[in-house]
Amino acid sequence: MKKSVLSMIVLVLVLGMFVPTMAQEDVTLSVLWFNDANESEVFLDTIQPYLDENPNIKIDMQVVAFSDYEKKIKMLLSGDSAPDIARVTNNQIPVFLSELEPIAPYIEDIKDVESAFMAASLAFAKNENDEIIAYPTEATANGMIVNKTAFEKAGVDVAEVSKTWTWTEWEEIIKKVIAVEGNPTYGLALDFTPHRFSTLLFEFGGRMMNDDYTAVNFSNEKTVETITWFKRMHDEKLIPESVWLGSENPAELFQAGVVACHIGGSWNINVYAKNIKDFEWMVVVPPKGEIVSSVPGGKFVASFKSSKNKEEAQKLMAWFSEDGPNAKYCCDTFNLSSRIDSSVEYPSNTSDFAAFSEALKATPVYVANEWKNPVLSQISPIIKEQIVLALMGDITPADAAAEIDKKGAEMMK
Amino acid sequence: MKSIRLESRSASRGNFHQLLAPLLFIAPAFFIFFWFIIVPAFQGLRMSFMDYSFFSESTFVGIQNFSRLMSDKVFWITVKNTIYYSFITVALLTIFSLIAGLLLHDNTLKGVKVFRASMYIPSLLSMITVGIAWRFILGDQMGIVNYLLRTFGHDGMQWLTSRSTAMSSVIFVSIWAQTGYYMVIMLSGLQAIPHELYEAAEIDGANSLNAFWHITLPLLKSTVLAVMVLATIASFKAYELISVMTQGGPGYSTKLIVQQIYQVAFTEDRLGYASSMSVVLMIIIGLFTLLQFRIVGSEYDYE
Repeated sequence: MKKSVLSMIVLVLVLGMFVPTMAQEDVTLSVLWFNDANESEVFLDTIQPYLDENPNIKIDMQVVAFSDYEKKIKMLLSGDSAPDIARVTNNQIPVFLSELEPIAPYIEDIKDVESAFMAASLAFAKNENDEIIAYPTEATANGMIVNKTAFEKAGVDVAEVSKTWTWTEWEEIIKKVIAVEGNPTYGLALDFTPHRFSTLLFEFGGRMMNDDYTAVNFSNEKTVETITWFKRMHDEKLIPESVWLGSENPAELFQAGVVACHIGGSWNINVYAKNIKDFEWMVVVPPKGEIVSSVPGGKFVASFKSSKNKEEAQKLMAWFSEDGPNAKYCCDTFNLSSRIDSSVEYPSNTSDFAAFSEALKATPVYVANEWKNPVLSQISPIIKEQIVLALMGDITPADAAAEIDKKGAEMMK
Repeated sequence: MKSIRLESRSASRGNFHQLLAPLLFIAPAFFIFFWFIIVPAFQGLRMSFMDYSFFSESTFVGIQNFSRLMSDKVFWITVKNTIYYSFITVALLTIFSLIAGLLLHDNTLKGVKVFRASMYIPSLLSMITVGIAWRFILGDQMGIVNYLLRTFGHDGMQWLTSRSTAMSSVIFVSIWAQTGYYMVIMLSGLQAIPHELYEAAEIDGANSLNAFWHITLPLLKSTVLAVMVLATIASFKAYELISVMTQGGPGYSTKLIVQQIYQVAFTEDRLGYASSMSVVLMIIIGLFTLLQFRIVGSEYDYE
């Protein structure tokens, strides 16, 4: 009896020693985010079931303006305060490539992840050792959004003609469209970024880098031709100068009915669906140049090598990237999913998302591979400046291309 | 004996109050100044002699950054733009703030407080807010001014799109936003001028213009100098307004040194080279400030 009481006491003491370690400690995950629209809100809403299941996990989210976002991450990394989770774009991944934590050690089988996402999205999410260092969340694509009503007023069935149109045909049609009284004044607006400009460039058969991606190479015939065409469109007033020369927002111009077509990102569907009430619009496959091309991109969630709570961060990111949460997130933010098996069902604009996807599918692999190179992000302002100088007639398109190559070579030294 | 000891104790307490207390009072400000101004300034100077980026090993490169700067065409365009922008902005800000101060320093004027507040309110807004608001006003296609011009049958103007008008538009907005702030400094200078001097001048037969040239302007010299120095430093460091209104464009038309430093440091990730630009900017600001002290710098005494 005495013995059994003693062993009971020992058992209780031993168990007592383990109780505090069995109870999970509270972990606060620092999350750095930027918004295109309502993504931070939707992210928190999406992960709520995970937080309910794991009450020890708390979220400390900081939302930063996109214009300051990259600088903020750099500051945090250099101050040894890396966030546990950060939302990053495909352009930002190359910048932080060496700092991002590979996901393989935290999951059972990396092949499950590799087979779940689109190849173009995963291409952006891999480091030089071919390790996946971020989970794709939403995919983006550049495409053409048109003012359907304006085309109808000019007697053009844009849904039909856009199935096969070329840029030469587009030019003829758009001149007819803007000639109609009360229609948009201009034919096309293109976001003031090299990324959106590259949509045209790839369509015209141009390249930004050489074949093995070791040097910036704007000085090729097709790229120079694209800049020349872009200048001609400005000179002929088919594109408003106020975007590339004056920083006016092309999305606002499209919504106000000033331009008939907008080459922009797939995230515009969200904004246009909410804001445009005066006319009908739709997404079409861009006119064909040498090829039909979009520019793939996307947003990702990632953790850093120096993050304090990597393990918990990786668990949450893995859960967030599963089909269910990913579909909810993409549906609520009105974005394309990066998952191949996505079950997302949009409440509206299904055909618009499909048009973006179609352009994305037609896009050659070298487009993603070129944009993966960090040097293109670094020389992005120089690309803009040189194209603008060419538009203003200060330099020739060939000189602009040569100057971009020169700066690129300096950066790659 | 006892009283002597007490006196010496109170004397040492007095010394403590006189010497140590002021030091303790300025210690927090000095600490902030030292850690957030002096240390980063020296760190910047050190970085200007290095090949320095966020994620790679930094190496000492001597004066390589400065020698490269000498042949950097874009940098010198931004230097030229900055000097032009600063010269015009400082001159107009000084003149307009002086005029506003002269018009509004009479406290007996009806509604003077409302006018002063109206002038001052723009300077309370952040330059980003000011920039966004004026971009909406001056925009080519979406701007209010061009909308009104088109409504009345005129062509819209390329306020921010043409190289001939973009810099003037930015300078105009900059002056609109800052005049109120410098007006307050001018007002404090004007109100410190003894009224008896004007009474004496009036008795001697001086008219308003004489009083302005021979009393107001000379006695306001140190205030004008302060306004010019502050405005010069602010205009050399102008960043937000131009970033929002024109992004430095079209081309390089409105790009100032600070925009170029930001681009080289944070987009191109060349912190060492950007630091050498900052050192040159510091030298230019220092030289201009010295020049202003030389030209306007003599002190006047009211006695």
